Formats: sequence, C-alpha cells, structure tokens
Amino acid sequence: MRRPTTVVFVSIAVGVLFLFPLGYLVYGTAFQAEDPWSIITSSTALGPLRRSLLIGVTSAAGAAVVGTALAWLVVRTNVPGRRFWRVAAALPLVIPSFVGAAALRAAFGPGGLVEAIPRPDGFAGAWITLVALSYPYVYLPVAARFAATPPSLEEAARSLGDTRRRALLRVTLPQARGAIAAGTMLVMLYALSDFGAVSLMRYDTLTRAIFSSQLFAPSVAITLGLLLAVVALVVSTGEPVLSGKAVATADTRPPRIHSLGRWRPWAGLSVLAIVSVAFVAPVAVFLVWWLRGPIAGRQELADLVESVTELTGPAAGSTVAGVVAALAAVLVTLPVAYAAVRSHGRVSARVPAVISSVFALPGLVVALAIAFFALRAPDLLFSLYQTFPLLILAYVLHFGAQSMRASTVALGALSSNVTEAAGTLGAGPARRFLTIELPLMAPGLAAGAGLVMLSVLKELPATLLLAPIGFDTLATRIWHAAEDGFLADVGIASLALILLSGILTWLLVLRPAAT
Amino acid sequence: MRYVIGLLIASLAMAACGGAGDPLTVYSGRSEELIGPLLEDFTEDTGIPVEVRYGGSADLALLIDQEGERSPADVFISQSPGAIGFLAEREHLAPIAAETLELVEPSFRNADGRWIGLSGRVRVLVYNTDLVDAAELPASVFELTDPAYEGRVALAPANGSFQDFVTAMRQVQGDDATLGWLEGMAANNSPEYANNSSIVQAVARGEAPMGLVNHYYNFRALAEDPGLPSQNHYFAGEDLGGLVIVTAAGILHASTSQDDANTLLEYLLGESAQQFLSEETFEYPLAMGATPWEGLPPLNDIGGATLDFDSLGGGLERTKELIDASGLEGP
Repeated sequence: MRRPTTVVFVSIAVGVLFLFPLGYLVYGTAFQAEDPWSIITSSTALGPLRRSLLIGVTSAAGAAVVGTALAWLVVRTNVPGRRFWRVAAALPLVIPSFVGAAALRAAFGPGGLVEAIPRPDGFAGAWITLVALSYPYVYLPVAARFAATPPSLEEAARSLGDTRRRALLRVTLPQARGAIAAGTMLVMLYALSDFGAVSLMRYDTLTRAIFSSQLFAPSVAITLGLLLAVVALVVSTGEPVLSGKAVATADTRPPRIHSLGRWRPWAGLSVLAIVSVAFVAPVAVFLVWWLRGPIAGRQELADLVESVTELTGPAAGSTVAGVVAALAAVLVTLPVAYAAVRSHGRVSARVPAVISSVFALPGLVVALAIAFFALRAPDLLFSLYQTFPLLILAYVLHFGAQSMRASTVALGALSSNVTEAAGTLGAGPARRFLTIELPLMAPGLAAGAGLVMLSVLKELPATLLLAPIGFDTLATRIWHAAEDGFLADVGIASLALILLSGILTWLLVLRPAAT
Repeated sequence: MRYVIGLLIASLAMAACGGAGDPLTVYSGRSEELIGPLLEDFTEDTGIPVEVRYGGSADLALLIDQEGERSPADVFISQSPGAIGFLAEREHLAPIAAETLELVEPSFRNADGRWIGLSGRVRVLVYNTDLVDAAELPASVFELTDPAYEGRVALAPANGSFQDFVTAMRQVQGDDATLGWLEGMAANNSPEYANNSSIVQAVARGEAPMGLVNHYYNFRALAEDPGLPSQNHYFAGEDLGGLVIVTAAGILHASTSQDDANTLLEYLLGESAQQFLSEETFEYPLAMGATPWEGLPPLNDIGGATLDFDSLGGGLERTKELIDASGLEGP
C-alpha cells in the first residue's frame, strides 16, 4: 500500500510491451483485411470459434482435475514411487503437441502398440492430447503450493474435529485455489493457441483456420488472429486475480504425508494410468521409431551413437534459450504480479489480462508480430533483428503469462502481515522484499520459471524465424525430421528433449524448492 | 553461463558490424538434412560463405513478405510451388540469369524467370498390399469417387501438395468438374489427415487402405522399416493424379549479391547436387540430363502430368474455397 508507485509504473510499461502482438493484429486487420466484419460473421470464423472455445473449456476442466489430483497424491500422500512421479509427472509439458499427437495416434488403435484402445481422433483425440500434454500447467504450481502449505493448518482443522477428507476439502484445497485457477487458465489459453494437436487430430479450430488461410487469404488469417486475441483477452479478464485465502504462518515444517492405507495400490495405479497415456505411451512410440531400424538389422550401432552425438549442439541451444528466457520472464513479469496483488490501481489490474492473452496466440503470430515491429524500427533497433536478445523477447512475450500467473499465486499466498511486521521493526522496502518475500516466494517463482523453460524447450515458430542463423534446438530438429518423414530422428530427438527437460526441471526447479 | 554471455556478445557484435564479408544468406524450406551438405560443398568449391535459416516454406515466405526491402535473405529455397509463387506474385523475386534457367525444362520453371525447379515430387496413390488387391487400383484419379472406394482413400485437404494438385485439376478440367470431384471424394467419406507423412503411417499400419500423397514419403518409411506393407501406385500416362510438383529456388529482389546467388542456383542444378537431391531424398532431379535414384521409375514411364506452375500461387485462394465448399476439411 505504501510503495506501489514505481512497481505500478514498471508494470504498465511491461503491459505496453505485451500489447505489441495485439497492435500488429489490429494494424493488419485495419489496413490489410478487406471487410473484416463479414469474415468474422461468416461460417469460416464462427464454426472454428465455437470449436476453439469448446476445446479450450473442456481441456481446462480436464487438466484442472488431473493436475490437482496428481499434485496431491504425489506431494501429500505415500503413493508408491512418489519421488519418481514428482519429476516424471511434469514432463509431458515438454512434448511438442504435434509429436505428442502423432505419437498417441501411433500408440493406440489398429496397427499401433496397443491395438485394444481405439485410436484418438477428432474432438476426443484433441482433448486427450491437450489434457495429457498440458495438465502440468496445473500440476506444477499446485504441487508447489501443496509443498508449501504448513501442516499446522490441517492439524488445526483435525483438532477441531474434521475428518481427513473434510480437512482436505476445507483447508488443503482452498489453500491451493489460486494455484489451481492460475494453472487452469494457462491450460485454456494453451489449448486456444494450439495448432499441432488439433490439426493432427483433425479438429477444425480457429488456429487451424488461421494456418490454412495464411498464404492464400492473408486478410482472413489476420482477421481470425485478431478474433482469437480478443477471445483470449475476454477469457483472461474473466479470472479475477486470486490473492486471498492462502495463509502464511511461522510454521516452516514440511507438510504432512498422508498414508493412503488400503487405497495405496489403487492410487499408484491411477497415477500410473495417467502418466502412461501422457508420458509412457509417447516415449514408447519414440523408442520404437528410433530403434526399429537397428532391430530389423538394417542399421549399425555406430549410426545410433552418431544420431545421439549429433544432438549435443541442439541440446546446448535448447538449454541456453530455456534458462535465459525463464529468468527473463520471471524478472519482467514479477513487477506485474506485484502491482496486481499489492496495489489496487485500475490500470495495473488490467495488465495481467493483456499478458495472458498473448499466450493464447499461435507462436507464428507472435513471431511475425515481433518481426513486424523490428522491421519498422530505426536502424539501431533493427540491428537486433534475428539476434539472441530479440529471440528471448519473443519467448518472454509469448510465455510471460506462465511466470506471471505463478508469481501472482506465490505473492497471493504471502500474508502482508509478515512484511508489515518487518516494516514496523524498521526494515525498508528493498530489505523486506529481499529477506522476507523473495525467499518465501521462491518455490512459486521457480515453478513459474520452470513452466516458461519447458515451453521454450518445445517452441518452434519464433525459434525458426527469429533465432540467429545457425542456432539450433532439439525442438527444431524434431520438427524438421517430422516434416521430412524421418521418424527415427523424430524418436531420438524427442527422447533427448524429454531427458534434458527432466534433468533441467530437477536441477533448477524441484531440487532447490525442496531444500 | 559463459556460453550465454558469449552468445549475447557474439550476437551484439554481429549486429554492430553488419554484413562484413557478406556471406550469402539462404532461407530454406528444405531441411538441413536434405540440403545442408550441398551448401557446405558449394562453399568449399566456390569460396562463397553461406548462412542458412531453416524453417517451413510457408512461414519463411510470410517472413520474407514482411521483411520486404530489409530482408537479410538472398536466396529462398521452397518445398512447394505455392510458397515461392506467393513471393513471385508479390514481386519479391528478381529475374534469374538466362543460362541458369536453361538448365531446366520450361515446364519446371517460372515463365518470367523468377524461380526455377530443383527437384520434383510425383503424386501417387500409396496403398497397403495386405488390404488392397492390385486389380482394384485405379488407372485415373477420377475413378476414386466411385462407390467401390468408399471410405478407403485418405486425403490431406489442408496440405500444400494436395492443394497444388487440386489447382492443377482446375486448370485442366475447370472449376465445376474439380468441385464435382472434391464433392465426390467428400460424399465417399474419404478419411482426412493432416499431411502426407501421417497418411503413409496410417496406410502402413492398415488404418487406411489407400491414400493420395507425394511419392517419396513411402520410400522414406520403407528405408526405416523395409517390412512395411505399403507401396506406391503410379497413375497411368498423363493422368492428373500423377502430377509432378516442384521444389524450387528464387533470388530476392532485395539481395545485393545477385551474382553469388545465381552461382548457387547453378550449383544446385549441377550434376553432383542433383544426384544428392535424388539419392538422399528419393525425389526426381530436374536438371536436364540428370539421372534419378535407381529405385525410382523413370519420369517418362509414369507420364507425370505437368502444368503451368505460375497459376498455382495465384489461384490457391479459389482452390481453398472449392475445397471448403466441397465438404472436405474439418469435421
């Protein structure tokens, strides 16, 4: 309440930066599109719009249930293999949707690995793929929240006579409400922006309509892009910033682990079932694609080794891009979260919706928007075109919503009493932030950084169009191999991407948060 | 961390000193695997350094369109006539030197000399030999609307190659007959897929008995798994079903290295480059006199309809309208 002015100013400046993609779409629609209104009201737009909203809402609902349940089981119960699942359950997020969808189609159905399960297709196929690949948006922040919920709250509920189930519903889940809402919103926006899963599953949404008209009917593509951005803005505004409810105490003990008793094997099986579809099935398909040549005796072992060593350069590129973008995104969006939670300014309260809306745009639109402005900039700025800093900017604009939501949740869970108490003891704002708020928020910020990092690891359009020439990532490798129909290369590069993500998630997100 | 700082410094330094030494910048819709080694050989042979940005042909064409006069690209290599036709139509491409153009038959290059074909892909019907009897295979693509093929022929209506094929049909048969064929395929409940690669996978695992695709996808699938029960069927003679679609290259207007760019195009149409293109990718070399990979039936034997590719870029919007109107694409 006392010092938000600078923070609010920075927050608004960041908000303006995130308006660039929208600005590009408005400009394009206004000056390049013929009769945009008739495009928006035609069946070209309305059918795909309806399907986009349907897949967005249903994917969000599915991911909210799956992500929350998994987080609770893995963090708060003695489910078998919980340490392994803790990391593995986050990994589906890193599978690019176009390979994830192709792998699920290859895994199930006639001629697939598991013939008894029907091949995913259409709405159901797109839904399963999107839920399977995006529930970690809910799982990661909620797991962080559960890990940080002090046991004293549940103990208090139990001592007042609540059963364990009632304590879960009345105390534990409400504590995570902000995290669940934030993650669910991210899933919805992700589903709106997705092109890979919906196109391979043959479900005709707005993004599919945008991509198929890009070259041949640019005015349709840009108008539909604007329509999607407006929908995203409306959706993002619909979620109020959830700050309250979570309680901070001086209780720093780790949360209690519930014994599942006779439910333990069943809980283990359900975790296994979810992770099987989202993770084990794609990994199995990647292994088959990679190894069926050598198994058929057609390839030498040396080829296999070479196919792995060829990936070290792209793996280094992925790591650098992911880590730098994650840090930058947390840094850029933290003031926005701060202003939204701590100040009550009208303008700064709108900034989160703007930032969120960019996440719902297809990556290609974000990349072209950045190119659009860079190409019209004076020489000094233009000299940054297709350099690493501009690429990082593209990642931050596209994925900043993720770190912002996570930071908002982390901040919302902090009681301002603690900082105010420190203030009355004479600590200045900077010291209060550094010594009290930042350490308490650290797990939440790390979760946000982790989400951005995993998104960058699978990012394609901006990397292809805006990276410095010669900058290669595992995702671009996978994409090229898939385009050319070289499935063995898709397999090994996808496995490498998953392994790298697992290592980075463990080293940079989960392990520091656990200590 | 040191790597990060190094990258940052390097990119700033590159930005600051502009194009000293001036390498040739190529935007390639063809992947590194399928053209990278050729470009390295080119640098070795000519001393002209080359920098390549790899991406999707359509995405790169959109980027070049946006870059305009500020485009860093000198040469654009496209996997589809649609994407390069789009740039020719928007006047981003410069005329190619006459002696380079003459390396290729007129039917495989732009009439105004703005782009030139590098390799060719033939449209085929891929089929599962366990599910389809060779006697059932059609001589013409027009037979596929027959009820005998109901639900059996996979299509990729959103795919560029399929759209090129439909545009060719419009040119030869007119819009009404084309719409009739598309409606016939839709009425036949032809299963729809996202792209060629997923159709070949679907045919190989028996999910779809047949599918309309480009010829090389099945060769690549067989190279990885020779046991697959999938095979190409070539349409007879001049049938439109066997259309040859080119991959092509063009030189940007904005380029200040027109000479080097022409040298590169000439190199890509040279003997060794053409041989690489055919053997690594199972495509047809387009330079006159070049020999295709031995596993391919000669282009002359299979007929291989060709057409005026220039109309492909411009007419694609109408093609898409017809596909939409026919009831194909989407649920």
